[in-house]
Amino acid sequence: MTQTIDTNIYAAVTEAIQSEAQRILAAGEVTAIVGYAAARRKGSAQPIVITSADDAQKLIFTPACVNNLAVYLTKAKKEIPKSGRIGIVVKGCDLKALVGLMGESQLKREQLYLIGVPCAGVLASTIQPDTGLTSDSIAPKCRECDAHLPQGCDFVPSQTPVTPELEKKYAAEIARLEALTPQERWAYWKEQFSKCIKCYACRQVCPFCFCEQCLCDRNKPQMVDTTPRPAGNTAWHIVRAMHLAGRCAGCAECERVCPMDIPLNLLNRKMAKELKELYDYEAGFDVHDKGPLNSYTEKDDQSFIK
Amino acid sequence: MQKHITEQNLNALLDKLIAEGKRVVAPRLNAGTPLYEPLKNSGEMITDQLPRRSGKEAFFPLCEDIMSYTKEGQKVELKDIDPARFPETVLVGVRPCDAAAIPVLDAVFSWDYKDEFFLERRKKTTIVGLACTKADDACFCTAVGLSPSDTKGSDLFLTPLEGGGYACETFSDKGETLVNNHAGLFSEPNNAKAVALAEPGTEAFDLKKVKAWLDEHFEDPAWDSIATRCVGCGACAFVCPACHCFDIVDEGTEKSGKRRKNWDACGFWKFTHHASGHNPRDQQPKRYRNRIMHKFKYYDDKFGQTLCTGCGRCIRLCPVGIDIAAIVEEISKK
Ligand code: SF4
Ligand code: SF4
Ligand code: SF4
Ligand code: SF4
Repeated sequence: MTQTIDTNIYAAVTEAIQSEAQRILAAGEVTAIVGYAAARRKGSAQPIVITSADDAQKLIFTPACVNNLAVYLTKAKKEIPKSGRIGIVVKGCDLKALVGLMGESQLKREQLYLIGVPCAGVLASTIQPDTGLTSDSIAPKCRECDAHLPQGCDFVPSQTPVTPELEKKYAAEIARLEALTPQERWAYWKEQFSKCIKCYACRQVCPFCFCEQCLCDRNKPQMVDTTPRPAGNTAWHIVRAMHLAGRCAGCAECERVCPMDIPLNLLNRKMAKELKELYDYEAGFDVHDKGPLNSYTEKDDQSFIK
Repeated sequence: MQKHITEQNLNALLDKLIAEGKRVVAPRLNAGTPLYEPLKNSGEMITDQLPRRSGKEAFFPLCEDIMSYTKEGQKVELKDIDPARFPETVLVGVRPCDAAAIPVLDAVFSWDYKDEFFLERRKKTTIVGLACTKADDACFCTAVGLSPSDTKGSDLFLTPLEGGGYACETFSDKGETLVNNHAGLFSEPNNAKAVALAEPGTEAFDLKKVKAWLDEHFEDPAWDSIATRCVGCGACAFVCPACHCFDIVDEGTEKSGKRRKNWDACGFWKFTHHASGHNPRDQQPKRYRNRIMHKFKYYDDKFGQTLCTGCGRCIRLCPVGIDIAAIVEEISKK
């Protein structure tokens, strides 16, 4: 049965974001703000960088505000002003990624002005942007979100999102895959990877893919075949999964943007689950100095050493 | 030549072509994703969804071998790919925006260098276009001089009729041959009306004006505001029916391997990265500028055509909502 998800608060959230943005830009507290603005298609939204208080009224928050804007603060995006303090509009899931980037010394908290969004959910990919938010149209990540209200921001509008309990699709899919034999599981992923066209949209939107040169772009030596064929595709997806283990905060941008509908975040979430079980580590709102895979404690699981 | 074909007979035609050993490529669902792919039987064809990727890959695959080598001791053997091995193909259910891109691609692949891989496949393919009955607000074929019933690029064109079946019209010898070889499946045209076709909401762009602005504004602050947020992926180019850049790589071992041709995209930073380390398109707006320049200026300069058919795929799939129709409209108003 289709359930409607209440997004009535988004109008008030939008107003609050606008007036805060206006205030901090006018007062010179920030030099620029990365947020969302309405776009041409009905109901659509797009990332925008504003630098003048007059533009604050362009900012919006709607179910079409899908992007994790944290990507614009990393090294990969050299064009965004890096001088002074930058404001950024963040949903809870996006904030977890920002916090991860702070832990990796990519960003400093004091250089950011965090405008948190009380968020009931956003639309899934391939849904027309003017569609209402329902249990059918909502992004899979929002079905199991524990971050509707971001913590530790400089400003959060006062509204409280109302969110119904929805079936957790990632959790169910991970359980299904775990129950398969390794051969069956491999067959499943092989089929998924075979769809990849190597457009690297998943990499380009990932806030954690900030390497100046991705291993997969190197050709001296050629580490990974560049062709979208089984060998290169498998290598790329394994590199991606391993390199994001213990880092991916679950914003699921990779999966949202994949033109080939590959369930990319499923793999990352499975890795996150392993990390939780092995090292009791979870991406959250607190900055960790070191990720679980680059620190050692005596409590670490040793059972794999035989 | 004008004819009529029922849905049943269209299916029978496809099954017959498959039985004859032809490759029949049409929109089908691959694990839920609509793609142009070879059909096993006519039942797989879908007509109600625009495939995620375009029809160009029937001639210009995502990746193909163009040569192979083996090395034993001092003996090196190089082997060409024999284009004779490309199968006779019928591309069916092609949307007007995809079909119209094919003659656009012909121009570049038969220009100063004849790309035998593209041209040989092209020669062996018959294109059966299908009028669109549904458009969304990303579609803008009507803005670039095409329409949901445009027959450009089709050898045979199908228009769905009220009460079922399709009106068929041929536009080339290939189209006529296809009909004549299976004459029993076609009947004389009846006077049923076409079903209501799609109506994209976009008004025609003044493409001359757009080009005139592009001619003068290689350097302009507008590029920054248009494309600072572009993240530099290949999504827009890879789903585009008209984009045609490719990269050539060698893959294999010391003993044997293949030379391969892959799709490439001007959005990638690596696209113009020189061996020296210098990159003339060192920032994303410069890369995105090339996309617009190539589509609405350079291609026009060289071939007198626009390198965009308004399919809207890049708009729907851009991770950061970059909307080429909005951009071209903005330029046309400058
Ligand atoms: S995961 Fe949570 S915070 Fe993120 S968009 Fe969905 S509901 Fe909002
Ligand atoms: S976005 Fe999808 S198709 Fe593109 S490289 Fe990533 S997995 Fe492959
Ligand atoms: S540029 Fe975009 S809209 Fe135009 S043909 Fe290519 S994918 Fe379609
Ligand atoms: S315009 Fe969009 S799809 Fe194209 S390279 Fe930029 S981010 Fe990727």
